[in-house]
Amino acid sequence: MDFLMLLISTGLVSGAAYGLIAMGFALVYKSTGVVNFAQGEIVMLTAYIAFSIANGLHLSFVPLVLVTIPISMLIGLVLERIFIRPMLGEPVFAIVMATVGLAVILRSATIMIWGSEPFNFTAGMSTAVIKLGGIPFYPAQLYLMAALGMVVLAIWLFLRFSRYGIAMRAVAANETAALLTGVSVNQVHALAWMLSSGIAAVAGLLFAANFKLAPDIWFQGLKSFPAVILGGMDSVTGAALGGLIIGLIENLSQGYIGEGMREIAGFIVIILVLMIRPYGLFGSRDIERV
Amino acid sequence: MRTGHFKENPGQLVALSDSRVVWTWFAGMLCVMVLAPFLIGNYGLTLVVSSLIAIIGAVALNMLTGQTGLISLGQAGFLAVGAYSNALLLTDYHWPVWLTLPASGLIAALISLLVGIPSLRLKGLYLAITTLAFSFIISHVILYAEGVTHGPNGVFVKGATIFGYDVQKGVPLYYLVLGLTVATILAALNISRTRIGRAWMAIRDHDIAARVMGIDLVRYKLLAFAISSFFVGIAGALMSLQLRFVNVDVFALILSIEALAIIILGGLGSIAGAVLGAIFLSFLPETLRLFFSMFADEKSALFTDYVYEIRGAAYGVVIVLFLRFKPEGLIGVWKDARKYWSNWPLAY
Amino acid sequence: MRTSIITCAAALLLSTVAYAAEPGVTDTEIKVGDVNIMTGPAAFVGKGFALGSKIAAAEINAAGGINGRKLTVITEDDGYIPARSFQALTKLIEVDGIFALNGTSGTANVLAMMPLITEHNLPTVVTEAPAKLVYTPVRPSVFTFGANYEDAFYAQLKYIHDNMEGKDAVYGILRQDDDFGKDVEAGFNRAVKEFGGKAAVRVAFKKGTTNFSAEMAQMKQAGVTVLANGGIFAGAANILAEARKLDMKIQSAGVWSEGIPASAALSAPAGYDFMVADYVSLVGPANDKFKVLAKKFVTDDELSNISRYTYVAYIGLKTLAEGMRQCGKELTRTCTIEKLRGLKNFETGGLSAPISFDNPLQLSGTAVGVYQFDTKANAFKALSEFKQY
Repeated sequence: MDFLMLLISTGLVSGAAYGLIAMGFALVYKSTGVVNFAQGEIVMLTAYIAFSIANGLHLSFVPLVLVTIPISMLIGLVLERIFIRPMLGEPVFAIVMATVGLAVILRSATIMIWGSEPFNFTAGMSTAVIKLGGIPFYPAQLYLMAALGMVVLAIWLFLRFSRYGIAMRAVAANETAALLTGVSVNQVHALAWMLSSGIAAVAGLLFAANFKLAPDIWFQGLKSFPAVILGGMDSVTGAALGGLIIGLIENLSQGYIGEGMREIAGFIVIILVLMIRPYGLFGSRDIERV
Repeated sequence: MRTGHFKENPGQLVALSDSRVVWTWFAGMLCVMVLAPFLIGNYGLTLVVSSLIAIIGAVALNMLTGQTGLISLGQAGFLAVGAYSNALLLTDYHWPVWLTLPASGLIAALISLLVGIPSLRLKGLYLAITTLAFSFIISHVILYAEGVTHGPNGVFVKGATIFGYDVQKGVPLYYLVLGLTVATILAALNISRTRIGRAWMAIRDHDIAARVMGIDLVRYKLLAFAISSFFVGIAGALMSLQLRFVNVDVFALILSIEALAIIILGGLGSIAGAVLGAIFLSFLPETLRLFFSMFADEKSALFTDYVYEIRGAAYGVVIVLFLRFKPEGLIGVWKDARKYWSNWPLAY
Repeated sequence: MRTSIITCAAALLLSTVAYAAEPGVTDTEIKVGDVNIMTGPAAFVGKGFALGSKIAAAEINAAGGINGRKLTVITEDDGYIPARSFQALTKLIEVDGIFALNGTSGTANVLAMMPLITEHNLPTVVTEAPAKLVYTPVRPSVFTFGANYEDAFYAQLKYIHDNMEGKDAVYGILRQDDDFGKDVEAGFNRAVKEFGGKAAVRVAFKKGTTNFSAEMAQMKQAGVTVLANGGIFAGAANILAEARKLDMKIQSAGVWSEGIPASAALSAPAGYDFMVADYVSLVGPANDKFKVLAKKFVTDDELSNISRYTYVAYIGLKTLAEGMRQCGKELTRTCTIEKLRGLKNFETGGLSAPISFDNPLQLSGTAVGVYQFDTKANAFKALSEFKQY
């Protein structure tokens, strides 16, 4: 079993988690121009909700995901309605700060409801080790990578072909023009939050299954920033790729350099990347919105 | 009732304020602040000192973010640089404190240039994330540069005396911090009236237009980074004096976010707003504590178990409510109140 | 303006209140402070601790208090942030007027509070973070109860070396890159040097890391058989899960926070009978006795939250109370400190080694016991008695 292969395989696994979380960021940013600082907290909240559902209904993995996603989307909608919708028309910066406030509330609420002790959460998956080409994986790790692929495909198809997806791209391109052609910008914003919460649920559920369910999962939101930036803030699929790249870089730097490099390697990389391409690898050139 | 306020010569336009009432109020405020240590207890004084330090930090961040439009999530990193510079110069190199304070500011300013140069091409959130990245890197460097920084052990700060007074606690610390706060506010007010301040605002409002007008973007953006970080560094140094101990855990990321929250809540771009925001957010936990202690007698299970988390959540709720109902910030509330007052009884 | 100055001056004269003889003590009450982690991901530390304070105070008060004075514990949250610990302690001292301090949060937090503690000559028992930085240099009013991580890891590795693994064991260490991690590594170094063992790999990671795949790949590559696991809570569990995936045969030595039921439950699925060393007892008759005692004062719900943090809080408060009791009716801080300094062989009911602060470091309870988690029985078993290392 090759050391390098092991680093690459696990790097891709954690990269898939970053990718999923980053896609949630990018989706909201693309459609509403807001960086949702509460994305990590939504990931955490939905993971805990999945945990409660799993405990209450004893579901296996696939049904659990199918139940959790709609509930999470509903939560996304509710959060958008309560916290974001009333702020429409305010400076983007103010809305961004509102998401910071939301993050504080969600963090406290999660601990109030579920307590601060971490839990084991298998999400209905087996924990038997599977070997692929000699490299060991937990099923949850394989599911995580598969989930990233499926979500990327689904989002790509949605944005490319669905009526709402096209409306979303129209709003991203030019909000006023989209409004004039009869696109309901409000609906698009709500939809972006719903979808991003749905993705957050997938990310949260699988992250918790891989790395325990703990109230510090929200920190993964910040750790996913390099992925979002690398991909370009407004490129949803770019964010997924950015996640994989950051995951790989982190694991390789920890494996070969060590000394806590994992936690800052991603940040060093984005500084270097941004010096060359100030709009990320796949971002559009003219992002100026705050 | 005043019918209007007219400026009749250029001098009045550039004056900090041409209103005698404002100056009188300012003097009155200052008088109260000077007497404050004798009016409030030690705990109150500690809180006031913390909030004054927060004011320096907020006013400094406001130069960068509010006036130049460069969003920074690196406040915690620059505070750490200032605090460590001060702590190490005082403790290991035995510099006098009147030298370490400006030196901390200068070191923070120099380091900010390191951040500023690669960030010059970046705007908005890209810049914010880059500064965030730098603040992670700074804490990593502090942790690993053990020979200089004592690494994970942290530093106990001692030996800060001015004229024989120990300026690390109580009244002397208060006067030192108060003096520097007033100086920072005056400096900020004055800078914003100079060519530099106006250049910053031009860059914030439209950088291309600013460039066309002949403003050197590189120069003024770097200047914004350096001047702002200078004051943030001093705020960090004061933090280290007050706490008397520094360690990387002191400068958690939450400080950067709180600093942004302060200037947003206060009213972005306004120095008075930054001051109000810093006061408001510094005293919010205390206010919430008082508010909740009114219900302390109810021994309901939920309450006793979750009082601390509820207090934490309430902090978020206040921020959200404020942004929702008063997006122009505390300075907006202040202006409304002033308008209401001067127009009374004929408001509207 | 002039009137305001006069008003201010008048207020100043009025506010010079006569100072009470000793803060925190009245004829009927003694106030003890506790600064702890009550919010955020590490809140269960503070909650477990608060439970111990509650039980100790209830027990003392039920027996008539300390020389007729009731003990009240006031807890302040610091959210694990040192600057907030400083503020919380200022509040406890200035507003609540505490007499002594029993909860001190984490290492950085207690260090941030240290200047205040020394300045007010506040009798303080540190039980949560008995790190070297806390008792060197020794502060006159600070008493430390507990072993440091160096001893705890040395004890485990020694046990493993003596009883489990042979000479060909390969040692590896995975630790945080901060003061806590350094202590772990110090114990590791001492052990490896003494046994002449092969220290194959040393890896540092940042606090808050969840993914240990690269680190464990390094361990696997180096052929590690004995792992000094410096992860905490979910981190330690993730390390073991990764080891299981890589099919590693290791004996893991862990941090004492892994001795709490919630942490053990996290690590259990990996199937390793991991070890911890602790300066308070995790299982045994003393713990059963404590549960019986606790039942009298707390609800069943709270009873299930009993952890090592409950024991250390209980021991800390009982010790502090003993110091105060010896002072009699004339209770002062100076007297309490003096009595604590003279404390010798104070029994903690078997929850730890007896406490004696009559040494230059004012340090006690440094003896550690080694425990092993039995995954089949889902419980800890004691491997060795409390012993000095």
